[in-house]
Amino acid sequence: MALSCMRCPAAGPAAAAVARRGAGLPPPPSSLALSFARYSGRRSTAAAGWRIEAVAGKGVKDPMDTSVENAVTPAAPSKVENGTPSAITLEEFEDLSALSKSDESSVSITVVGASGDLAKKKIFPALFALYYEDCLPKHFSIFGYARSKMTDAELRDMVSKTLTCRIDKRENCSEKMEEFLKRCFYHSGQYDSEEDFAELGKKLKQHEGSKVSNRLFYLSIPPNIFLDVVKCASKSASSVNGWTRVIVEKPFGRDSESSAALTRGLKQYLVEDQIFRIDHYLGKELVENLSVLRFSNLVFEPLWSRQYIRNVQLIFSEDFGTEGRGGYFDSYGIIRDIMQNHLLQILALFAMETPISLEAEDIRNEKVKVLRSMKPLQLEDVVIGQYKGHTKGGTTYPGYTDDKTVPKDSLAPTFAAAALFINNARWDGVPFLMKAGKALHTKRAEIRVQFRHVPGNLYKGCFGTDLDRATNELVIRVQPDEAIYLKINNKIPGLGMRLDRSNLNLHYAARYSKEIPDAYERLLLDAIEGERRLFIRSDELDAAWELFTPLLKELEQKRTAPELYPYGSRGPVGAHYLAAKYNVRWGDLSSEHYKA
Amino acid sequence: MSDEELRNMISMTLTCRIDQRENCSDKMEQFLQRCFYQSGHYNSEEGFSELDRKLTEKEAGKLPNRLFYLSIPPNIFVDVVRSASRTASSPSGWTRFIVEKPFGRDYESSGELTRSLKMYLAEEQIFRIDHYLGKELVENLSVLRFSNLVFQPLWSRDYIRNVQLIFSEDFGTEGRGGYFDNYGIIRDIMQNHLLQILALFAMETPVSLAAEDIRNEKVKVLRSMRRLKLEDVVVGQYKGHTRGGKSFPAYVDDPTVPSGSVTPTFAAAALFIDNARWDGVPFLMKAGKALHTRRAEIRVQFRRVPGNLYRGNVGTDLDMATNELVLRVQPDEAIYLKINNKVPGLGMRLDSSNLNLFYSERYQREIPDAYERLLLDAIEGERRLFIRSDELDAAWAIFTPVLKELEDKRVAPELYPYGSRGPVGAHYLAANYNVRWGDISSDGSF
Repeated sequence: MALSCMRCPAAGPAAAAVARRGAGLPPPPSSLALSFARYSGRRSTAAAGWRIEAVAGKGVKDPMDTSVENAVTPAAPSKVENGTPSAITLEEFEDLSALSKSDESSVSITVVGASGDLAKKKIFPALFALYYEDCLPKHFSIFGYARSKMTDAELRDMVSKTLTCRIDKRENCSEKMEEFLKRCFYHSGQYDSEEDFAELGKKLKQHEGSKVSNRLFYLSIPPNIFLDVVKCASKSASSVNGWTRVIVEKPFGRDSESSAALTRGLKQYLVEDQIFRIDHYLGKELVENLSVLRFSNLVFEPLWSRQYIRNVQLIFSEDFGTEGRGGYFDSYGIIRDIMQNHLLQILALFAMETPISLEAEDIRNEKVKVLRSMKPLQLEDVVIGQYKGHTKGGTTYPGYTDDKTVPKDSLAPTFAAAALFINNARWDGVPFLMKAGKALHTKRAEIRVQFRHVPGNLYKGCFGTDLDRATNELVIRVQPDEAIYLKINNKIPGLGMRLDRSNLNLHYAARYSKEIPDAYERLLLDAIEGERRLFIRSDELDAAWELFTPLLKELEQKRTAPELYPYGSRGPVGAHYLAAKYNVRWGDLSSEHYKA
Repeated sequence: MSDEELRNMISMTLTCRIDQRENCSDKMEQFLQRCFYQSGHYNSEEGFSELDRKLTEKEAGKLPNRLFYLSIPPNIFVDVVRSASRTASSPSGWTRFIVEKPFGRDYESSGELTRSLKMYLAEEQIFRIDHYLGKELVENLSVLRFSNLVFQPLWSRDYIRNVQLIFSEDFGTEGRGGYFDNYGIIRDIMQNHLLQILALFAMETPVSLAAEDIRNEKVKVLRSMRRLKLEDVVVGQYKGHTRGGKSFPAYVDDPTVPSGSVTPTFAAAALFIDNARWDGVPFLMKAGKALHTRRAEIRVQFRRVPGNLYRGNVGTDLDMATNELVLRVQPDEAIYLKINNKVPGLGMRLDSSNLNLFYSERYQREIPDAYERLLLDAIEGERRLFIRSDELDAAWAIFTPVLKELEDKRVAPELYPYGSRGPVGAHYLAANYNVRWGDISSDGSF
């Protein structure tokens, strides 16, 4: 129990302090349902009491006063109906009804493409971690679905090999694993066969018994068969009395047109609410924390605009190349693979206006507004690169085109830097620089916010001629070693007046000993709970493609040659010239310390 | 005393912070060779003219500059200044006097002292030392404020809810209460050290870092401050306390203290600056002896986030979740900013954690003693960290009425046990202004 994650049913008294994200305001019906759904099963009375308090609003003085009976629910939905006139969708209604007899609802999670790499490395381990931490509903079953023939035992065998990821050191791990594996099943079938999915549906039904059936399909398959699976699954394996949701992974098309076609295809069989487009970067701890930082700290509030921020840098680098698996990558390139989705999503979260609430739709509305305020990317604001072979210390690292799965004359960028602009009142003129690359010298993902220089700086004599080098910088490091730090100028202790740039630090590892959950755990749990905040809505996706499509087309039509950079280097120097054009200096590559 | 005896005496305490360094003993010897002793009465012009002759001899025709450090009781300040300035002033270079507190005990006596000093000295010869201004983090305060854009928009009533200036010692007068009893904690700590820090904290941006520009701004702040009222002050005095078999004496148990003394060994006060930047922001001061900890710090509590999206996560008391900037002057110099962040994990629990800068982690070398800095400044004629006469007047003007009232009414201090957190009255004072002391509230997550 003590190990249970705060969001999940079996929380201890500490959960009194827990309110779930999205629980801030008297929430609209769906969030109410969601938050309550979380407390189904063995619920913590304290936590539930808290929830009621949040729903009831400011009137209740002490959350603990609220009676447990109230907390446990049937009253809650009616409160919502009375409180908010807005229509409750069918699905929300089902959430509510599922909630009122929560012990009688079940969730079936079907991993389509169960034998694939992502399923093995990420999805099953994430599901197990959720199970270990008591985050999954009481009645759940997990189905693998793929073409290959396999028994349940073989699936369990396969799954068990990768289950040990982040919690293998914990107590009871092997017991828990056994219990978990007993709930895992396999069904073999073709991706485009309605019969096979109907067969799956029957099996699911067996496990669900008479309980309300909620079904989640995780499509861990190549994009060209997305539609086949969605068609078959929705037609013949949808839940009859609960919800049916589908998680889709990138790529979501390769440009505006193909993405829109995919969305149209999905919408033939699914409504928007059923589609959960995953961007696993949004599940990263520090990306989640970005909104908390922005909106719960007064000290950042006045700073968050063109008035104080000189530029924003979104940096992603990997220290390895495609390593023999460049087939998929080559047809997409780094801009589609990283920038158009991960980095752009972070940018939108960073730059959006304050949403009305933490509700998924409110946040996604604000994100869409940012994306639609952005200037489509111009060719001259982009630098692309591709890594070449490099020998260092006796080890030879291959070039991108040495990868056997990559065409010899490929021009696919493995590195790109871009300058983007948001034409709205808050951000007009502030360059948002993105940089993403493979086979670089380091593995890192971070957001760097460089502030303007101090107007009329009294200490200008201590800084030398370049005042911009002495500006404040806020760094949010997403990986590795999650950290937040603010670079400030201070005096070097001692006689005399020498200034120094040092960091106000928060290193997660130093402060939080608990492991940080994998992004997939969070996102899977969100999908089960119907929390859509971290999933990408169709109009967001459209807006994101709008920004990048003209540029991507131009690059391909002109067959623009990427600047080559050695494997393991800091990337093409072109990125510096691009930055210089907008008076920016990359924060990750400049020297950290300088003395006046 | 002979020169030799003086050298002997000095050499015993010279080893303080640099004794681990190389050449220390060589350097010490060379240093001691330059130390001399002149015996004489404090009010004797003959004694000082004797000194003058010796000084002239050592100066040997070079441009003579002379610095006198008055490390003597205040009642003989003027005698020494008169004698020294008349008979031992430099004929062609500068002559400067460093004076230590107390600078009087109220507006009138301080004014009197200043007038007397000025009979013999010009303003720029007087270096009133406040060794707190020589502390590393106090020096750094202006750097933080004026060289970091991120603090600039925050530094006003728009964002700051209150400022707390906290000084505590974990020991009492320990048999040396004679001087203290005559002054009390308000004069000993608040009216000078804490008020000086307040002025540096709250002043407008000076035209430059030059001493007169900074002191001009400090005077402006002090003169914008409301006179302190009795109802905005809480006084306390420590009483004996036995803990773990050990007895700690009360203030009045000190043999050098009169047994009926009502001198405060603790005080808390709420001050206000009636200017455009700070109108309505309480500046709370707290200073005390024989408390549970030794500490000096500035705490800046920010307002709550208007329309906080996360208010459901913060609980009912939104003020508990505000940002706080802490500048710890001693011990363990540090700067940290309390921010709200998400506790890693599934779900959304907020936590208040610190963006930290611990000096000892970042800066290996020892931080020089405040006196080193101030002496060097006096030699160099850098007056930034010394208190000008008009600053001193303005400081006394704020505190004198309440000091008089406390004494006239013989206001009894609230007793608090030696080693405790001080009188609870301090909390009620803070509560009056909707403030919660940052040093005593629980720091944990909410």
